[in-house]
Amino acid sequence: MVDKGLERTIAERDHFEFLLKFLEESPYETSHLLIPLVKANLDHYKDTVRYIEEGKPIIASYFSNAPEIFTAMDIHWYCPVSAAFAGAGANPYLMNDLEGADKLAVSSDICTLLRMAMYYTEAGLLPRPTAIVGMIIPCDGIVALHEASRRSKEWRGIPMFAPDPPYFTDERSIDYFAQELRRMVDFLTEHTGQKLDIGRLREVVEVTNEQYQLWQEINELRRAVPCPFNWGVGGGPFALTQNRWVGDPRGLEWFKAALADSEKLVKAGKGWLENERIRLLWFDVHPTWFFDLAPWLEEEWKAIIVMDMFSYCPYTLVDTSSEETMFHDLAKRNLMDTTMIRQAVGVADNFASDLVRIVKDYKIDCVVWPAHMGHKDGAASVGIMREICRDLGVPFLSIGIDTFDPRYTTPDEVKNTMSQFFTAMGLG
Amino acid sequence: MLVGGCDVGSATGKAVVMKDGEIISYVIIPSTTKPEVTARTVMDEAIEKAGLSSIDDLDYIVGTGYGRLKVPFANENISEITCHARGAHWLSPTVRTVVDIGGQDCKVMSIDEKGKVLEFVMNDRCAAGTGRFFEAMARVLDCGLEGLSSLSLQGKNPSTITSQCSVFAESEVVTLINEGMELVDIVAGLHNSIAGRLNSMVRKVGLVEDLALTGGCAKNDGLAKALEEKLGVAVKKLPQDPQIAGAIGAALIAEEKLNGQS
Amino acid sequence: METNLKSKAFQEFSNAAETLVNPVLQHWKDQGGKVIGYFCSTVPEEIITAAGLTPFRMRATGSTGTEESDAFYSSINCSFPRHCFNQVLTGDFKFLDGIVCVNSCDHVRRIYDNWKRFVPTDFIEMMSLPRKTGPDQVGWYTDELAMLKDKVGKHFGVEITDDRLWKAIKLHNETRRLQKKLYELRKQEKPPITGAETLAVMVAGTAMPKEQYNEKLRELLDELSGTEGPGSHRARLLIVGGILDDPAYVKVIEDQGGLVVTDSTCFGSRLIWVEVDENASDPVAALAQYYLTDRPSCPRMYGEHDNRAQYVIDMCREFNCDGVIGERLIFCDSWLVEHYMLGQDLKAAGIPMLKLDREYLTSGIGQLRTRVQAFLETMGR
Repeated sequence: MVDKGLERTIAERDHFEFLLKFLEESPYETSHLLIPLVKANLDHYKDTVRYIEEGKPIIASYFSNAPEIFTAMDIHWYCPVSAAFAGAGANPYLMNDLEGADKLAVSSDICTLLRMAMYYTEAGLLPRPTAIVGMIIPCDGIVALHEASRRSKEWRGIPMFAPDPPYFTDERSIDYFAQELRRMVDFLTEHTGQKLDIGRLREVVEVTNEQYQLWQEINELRRAVPCPFNWGVGGGPFALTQNRWVGDPRGLEWFKAALADSEKLVKAGKGWLENERIRLLWFDVHPTWFFDLAPWLEEEWKAIIVMDMFSYCPYTLVDTSSEETMFHDLAKRNLMDTTMIRQAVGVADNFASDLVRIVKDYKIDCVVWPAHMGHKDGAASVGIMREICRDLGVPFLSIGIDTFDPRYTTPDEVKNTMSQFFTAMGLG
Repeated sequence: MLVGGCDVGSATGKAVVMKDGEIISYVIIPSTTKPEVTARTVMDEAIEKAGLSSIDDLDYIVGTGYGRLKVPFANENISEITCHARGAHWLSPTVRTVVDIGGQDCKVMSIDEKGKVLEFVMNDRCAAGTGRFFEAMARVLDCGLEGLSSLSLQGKNPSTITSQCSVFAESEVVTLINEGMELVDIVAGLHNSIAGRLNSMVRKVGLVEDLALTGGCAKNDGLAKALEEKLGVAVKKLPQDPQIAGAIGAALIAEEKLNGQS
Repeated sequence: METNLKSKAFQEFSNAAETLVNPVLQHWKDQGGKVIGYFCSTVPEEIITAAGLTPFRMRATGSTGTEESDAFYSSINCSFPRHCFNQVLTGDFKFLDGIVCVNSCDHVRRIYDNWKRFVPTDFIEMMSLPRKTGPDQVGWYTDELAMLKDKVGKHFGVEITDDRLWKAIKLHNETRRLQKKLYELRKQEKPPITGAETLAVMVAGTAMPKEQYNEKLRELLDELSGTEGPGSHRARLLIVGGILDDPAYVKVIEDQGGLVVTDSTCFGSRLIWVEVDENASDPVAALAQYYLTDRPSCPRMYGEHDNRAQYVIDMCREFNCDGVIGERLIFCDSWLVEHYMLGQDLKAAGIPMLKLDREYLTSGIGQLRTRVQAFLETMGR
């Protein structure tokens, strides 16, 4: 009986192996920042395959669950939705996956990512984890997915723990979530036999602190006019600090290189684009079909994506002086500084203040709310977004897309809409 | 035992007269704005065609379809879901999945070996995948409904029609014509798009062979072919006009009621 | 609503379900009484009652459109909060003296934000509702409730003592007991009250002071006891879902011959099947325990699906149901997946299920009729 979970993981590993070779041997100049990201992905898949083959414990978890702790406990984890995402088109099975998801008897008005994850679970395409640390933040859909996974034939009976999210982010809430993280550690120890050594955690966090510090500096450089950074490796910071090289010095190297690149451009008074004309905020993560849109924005409209939700995770450094401070600050980071969760969780003031800050700090010319079909809370926030943009005097566009499925609104339709918007607003 | 089935749809009215389990006449007429008038007219024509003198000659009549509540002479009414399933199964007993494409809605039923419905899904919220959609397209392309079918079968490189909504699909088609796309490819693309929608519905109830099409649009061979490609199975052709499947089912149920079987 | 019940009490309940401010509530206001609206079943009404105020469960009865709220919500949002907020914007909720929200779901939680920013309101609060239902969460929610109690007390100038809370708890438990008695009558072979009528009674219970409500409900129970209904139905059904506050919707189902004899809905049995523990030492903790854990949960809660499914199956057995209708408001993620799972659970238990998508305003009655009729036919009824 072939384990489809292993089969698919091996296929994904091979895909990144091929991609790495292709980039390394390509006669064309490839961003030297892209290769380490591919390598990071490849290493992850290699490890996953190795752990499965060696029968070692493997956890299914999410990037919001203090991945630093996993690194410190030397626990290998994978994210059940990462295959869908795989960043800007790196999922070669996207169309197959979408069709697989369509075959489920679940209506398509729920976020496509969740249908895809349900499909992966039911089709046995995910490695069967020893235990699961779930994510029940920020939305209804992700909770529903977890309920379905728990109950599914394939994953029923696998121990699952999910940290409970408070709605607010005050001290009391952070303390509560810190307690949940402690319970998560106990859960992990119970099911993997690994223990958490606080000294090791400190080491890991000191590295991620440095990663985030560098990330902050890169973000600050992105404020420059013209902007030195482009969408191409935009998912990098998130991928490395919260998913792949968590607490890994190789991540530091990447950030230093990315920072150096941006610094060089800014010092020379240059931007990523020659003749940058439109500074755009893409107020969401990158869709899987971004490679079909973002380059066109740059070529056709000289529009550069100065900021997006992949990158906007400003972060107060974790105080590593004690176990208490570390848990407290990691909890705070999970609640307040995780990609996209940051803007979706809690009251509207969270995303609203980000919107204001970004428009002002990054000298944004127009705000694009892609309006992914799965963001139900976001959809209920458009009035607020519009009002903020009106007050700031910046044009606002809501499109209506599916971050994962290019068939919902095709890239061509999006281009059309954006062109009309730019023209009507006198941009570019 | 003489029984009648009367299927009052949004686009057409159908009546079937059965004697001792055999069809002795059937009629299809365009619907009028009043369902009771449509029902009366189509039933009267079927009676005449059967060589009977009056509607009173029938021992039991079952009404179905969108206008089933307005069939004054029906002894009772049954949902078109149950009737189409029954009718399709009687026409071809190996059928286990029925896709009914009517004037204003489309539905998929999974049935058991007795023709009884196990599960169903309906789309009656929008025109995509219904007779209305095909009529609108035939108008835009000025080719008639049969024309649509034969054009579709000739398309070698079907265009991709992305609009979910039939109104927008119409604009999309006009755009494609203006861009110089081959008519046959556009029409094939339209059929593929509809087949895709139907495929989703079939997946929701689970595909079990044989699969048959009923309803007016079942006569569109282009659609049948597109659906076969999407589903990966052959569509079982029914031995009678698939448009009367509902009325047949109604007549069969009428007979059962008489026999006290249900 | 068309009904065969001759009861005066029922008439009042039916009217209360068809309007926002019924005469009893109006009278309360005229006497200087105050009303606090709230979203979601997990907001303890008892705290509001204990403050000497009347709790009012939010619904959008009487709404005809969303032209005003369309500027704030999108077409992919649930129609329930869209209609509710529309009525907030058109002033239909001016009779409220305050509003309490929880983060029940992604659509409704933004009513708090939109309401706060765009509609001047004296008292508007949001509580943090956990996703899990374990002891740690009960502890958290106890603190949330204590804070709400303080805020309500401070704003309305009332000290909400434990005594007042216990009194309120006892009063609300009495309501639950009476409502449960009503449900018990439907276990009969020929229930004297339909599902639509029951829903009217339940909705009315969220729209007036409980003392008067209990009185009228006792009257209705007296009138119904020992009677039986026509028993002309083809099948006995359970309806499961979220916000269903429109008896007319249930009536369409019942007109096809499917008598709704019980349910698991937001205005239904989940509100009444268990009671707040009157023997607990701390009333606030007792409320947290009840609202978060003891009550049958809604699918926005994590880790509870098995319990929810078992609740539905047990209800079906207890009420001798032939089938289940699962309804959900379109765009609701929680109920979509819940019904997906429930369909499989019920199939394993040999109970047929029909899944229906609906919009908040009951429409498409012809389509609803067809589906229900077909469902009854597939059950062989």
